[in-house]
Amino acid sequence: MTAIISVRDLRKTFRVLVRRPGLGGSIANLFAPHYRSVQAVEGVSFSLQAGELVGYLGPNGAGKSTTIKVLTGLLVPTGGEVRVDGQVPWEKRERYVKGIGVVFGNRPTLWWDLPVIDSLELLQPMYDIPAERFRYNLVEFKRMLELDEFINTPVRSLSLGQRMRADLCAALLHEPKLLFLDEPTIGLDVVAKEQIRRFVLDINHRRGVTVLLTTHDLTDVERLCERVMILDHGKLLYDGTLAALNGRFESAWTLKVDFEEEYPDVSVAGLPAPQRVGRQALYLFNHRELNTAELVQQLMARFQVVDLEVRRPPLEETIRRIYAEQLLTK
Amino acid sequence: METMRLYLRVMKLSILQQVTYRTALLAGLATNFFFGLLRAAVLLALFQVQPVVNGMTQAEGLTFVAFSQALIAFLFIFGTYDVMNTVYTGSIGADLARPMDLFFYWMARDFGASLVNLVIRGVVLVAVFSVFYPVVMPATIGQWGVGLVSLLLGWGVNYAFRFLVNLTAFWTPDARGIGRAAYTMLMMFSGFLMPMRLYPDWFSRLVALTPFPSTFNTPMEIFMGLLKGPEVIPALITQVGWLVALWLLARVVLRRGLSKLVIQGG
Amino acid sequence: MLRNLGMYFRLVGCDLRSQMTFRLSFWIDLFSTMAVNASMFASLYLVLERFGNIGGWGLGELAFLYGLAETSFGLMDMIFSGFDYDYFSTLVREGRLDQILLRPVPPAVQVMGHRFVLRRVGRILQGAAVLILSFFLVDMFWTPLKVAFLPVVLASQVVAMGALFIAGSTLTIWTIQRVEAINILTYGGVELMSYPASIYPRALRAIFTYILPFFFLSYYPALFFLDKTDPLGLPVWPPFLAPMVAGGMLWLALRFWKFGLKHYQSTGS
Ligand SMILES: Nc1ncnc2c1ncn2[C@@H]1O[C@H](COP(=O)(O)OP(=O)(O)OP(=O)(O)O)[C@@H](O)[C@H]1O
Ligand SMILES: [Mg+2]
Repeated sequence: MTAIISVRDLRKTFRVLVRRPGLGGSIANLFAPHYRSVQAVEGVSFSLQAGELVGYLGPNGAGKSTTIKVLTGLLVPTGGEVRVDGQVPWEKRERYVKGIGVVFGNRPTLWWDLPVIDSLELLQPMYDIPAERFRYNLVEFKRMLELDEFINTPVRSLSLGQRMRADLCAALLHEPKLLFLDEPTIGLDVVAKEQIRRFVLDINHRRGVTVLLTTHDLTDVERLCERVMILDHGKLLYDGTLAALNGRFESAWTLKVDFEEEYPDVSVAGLPAPQRVGRQALYLFNHRELNTAELVQQLMARFQVVDLEVRRPPLEETIRRIYAEQLLTK
Repeated sequence: METMRLYLRVMKLSILQQVTYRTALLAGLATNFFFGLLRAAVLLALFQVQPVVNGMTQAEGLTFVAFSQALIAFLFIFGTYDVMNTVYTGSIGADLARPMDLFFYWMARDFGASLVNLVIRGVVLVAVFSVFYPVVMPATIGQWGVGLVSLLLGWGVNYAFRFLVNLTAFWTPDARGIGRAAYTMLMMFSGFLMPMRLYPDWFSRLVALTPFPSTFNTPMEIFMGLLKGPEVIPALITQVGWLVALWLLARVVLRRGLSKLVIQGG
Repeated sequence: MLRNLGMYFRLVGCDLRSQMTFRLSFWIDLFSTMAVNASMFASLYLVLERFGNIGGWGLGELAFLYGLAETSFGLMDMIFSGFDYDYFSTLVREGRLDQILLRPVPPAVQVMGHRFVLRRVGRILQGAAVLILSFFLVDMFWTPLKVAFLPVVLASQVVAMGALFIAGSTLTIWTIQRVEAINILTYGGVELMSYPASIYPRALRAIFTYILPFFFLSYYPALFFLDKTDPLGLPVWPPFLAPMVAGGMLWLALRFWKFGLKHYQSTGS
């Protein structure tokens, strides 16, 4: 199987005008502008197979949006090779964008002053969507995203969640093979987020749409992605399954145990002394060295146990540590 | 005294803010200068037909062009829409919460910007223009002084008029359109497009009944000595008269408008 | 091509519909625009009452130049509203150009379809009225060639000034802020075209004949329509260069536009 997206050594450098302060500075700016380069993406390579749903993660300013903008043909990269579905995105952009769907969470993609339905219907001639496919898709997406309640409202008066649903629908009406989502759940409430996730999953499963998704909400990632890529300061630090990432970097799991009585010593060899509150004890253990079953067996063998609760650290915690302690760069 | 200091602070802030728009200032200067050249060509062609018209010489006509281009920014010839925008966006609420009179608050702001524009756009433009064309300057210190006083009075009349135009926003959502029409009158009747002397007599006599010539035409005539000696006094009195009248009118209208605003808000 | 044209009209239709929701202000805007521009002509008219002519051109002849330039500027300002650089720079700043680039329709078509400011009709009507008036004032001697050529000249002016709008907008891709100095070329251009070239100083005349050939769009065609002879004794063909000049300017502007889009940096999020 060949990759649907392949990116080799992608680089993007922005030139930013440095404004010098003061009146003298401003005159200098006018005649001898001074530029600073910002390396947003520095040599990123990866590929996606058709049908994958991949999370593209990284702290603020890592270069995620920049990558997406290159992949969608908005930006011409400074260097590197990009092929998406056999095409170079920025070369024949108008033809290329017919085959992709894009949603930027922080900006609307529909016509601001038009009612949602007019905006959607404009897409049919624009993308040359066969009329019956258009109808069919519209009906289906309207149902899945519950668009009917606001379909006649102008886009500018929609709530954020409504707008995102409309944007998603718009991005998919022309049945693209690829969907790029840049923070699609930003600023949404729990219910709206879940609705969006279900929709993306469904599109990926039933229609086989390949999805590349950036997000800061790790619940999105847990719910949607098997594979994740982590980017920081323009460099790709990790590319692999979520499970493997957890395997490598997850911090200690916790086991909460309620004992029958208050034993004088409940410590386990090789583990730090548990925190104790009455008959309760809290063990921290490294899941890579000791699995839960073994630990539980040990405890059951020595004590009368009433209740057990295992807690895995949230993905959020793992990722936070990766960013903050720069675990991947070491 | 205390409030006076407050307004001076506002003015200073406005000056600093205006100075930060330097690229716009320079671009504005270039644009004003270019239009000055085009208008000078038209005026020269007109004076070719007749060297002295209604007491005005070709050099005086050119000076008029130079100054009208130089003072576009000082006098906000194309009008301002700031106050009406605060009415529409509701940020007027924040301005009202300050211990300042709205009329003088905006006056201080506008005047700060005007000063910057006078120095950077006005003086420079006249200087550059005088390289290419003759520019008539006052002959005596006295004439300079009276000319400046008249210019300041003109600025005041102009400000009061613009403020009044902005106040229409309290009554209609279409104040911009009204403003555009009103500022067109200002532009034409103030002598900005053409010195009033070059229009037919019946027309200038009619326009003289309005406050508009007081904003620009009168200061220019005094400055160039077209009005001199005893003719200056009634001209200045007319300016002061319009200033006071428009200012009082603005106060009344503002009070009415604000009471309306409160009723709407309740 | 045909498809793009269809898309253009659809987009314009949508924009018009949203303008129609504010009815009263539309009329007020229309009339105020008309008043603004009419006052310019009124001022000229009044001054001519004293002087009689400008550089040997009487009221009717000046009205022809002025009416032509106003009509075409108004038309251009309406058709190319999306490329009004004040407006276009907000598209760049707010990242809305991204949305345009993500659609499978040429960006220029979308930008033009994005905005169609109907109230510019005020300026067009006013200009057309002056133009028609001028036919009577100069007692125009119509020939079939003149009848055929008038719309060509009008279209040439529209296209040429539209090209300047496109170029000015393209600049804002780099500067983000609007570039005010471009007003010299656009608004200055109309002003320039409203008077006979012969009144301008030699340097200006040379620049706007050979570098930015505005005079081929107004002055020379006007000589032909008004059966006037050029004081500089010109051959017969310059009046007919107008469409070539306009086409050339549009071609250059579109090249620049394409170049600008290639260098578009989008905006940071
Ligand atoms: N148009 C631009 N011009 C200049 N610099 C830019 C531009 N767009 C992005 N940058 C810079 O490039 C870097 C990467 O930005 P990018 O938007 O790709 O980050 P991101 O990973 O999407 O961050 P976030 O999570 O905050 O959205 C940042 O340093 C940013 O300031
Ligand atoms: Mg981003």
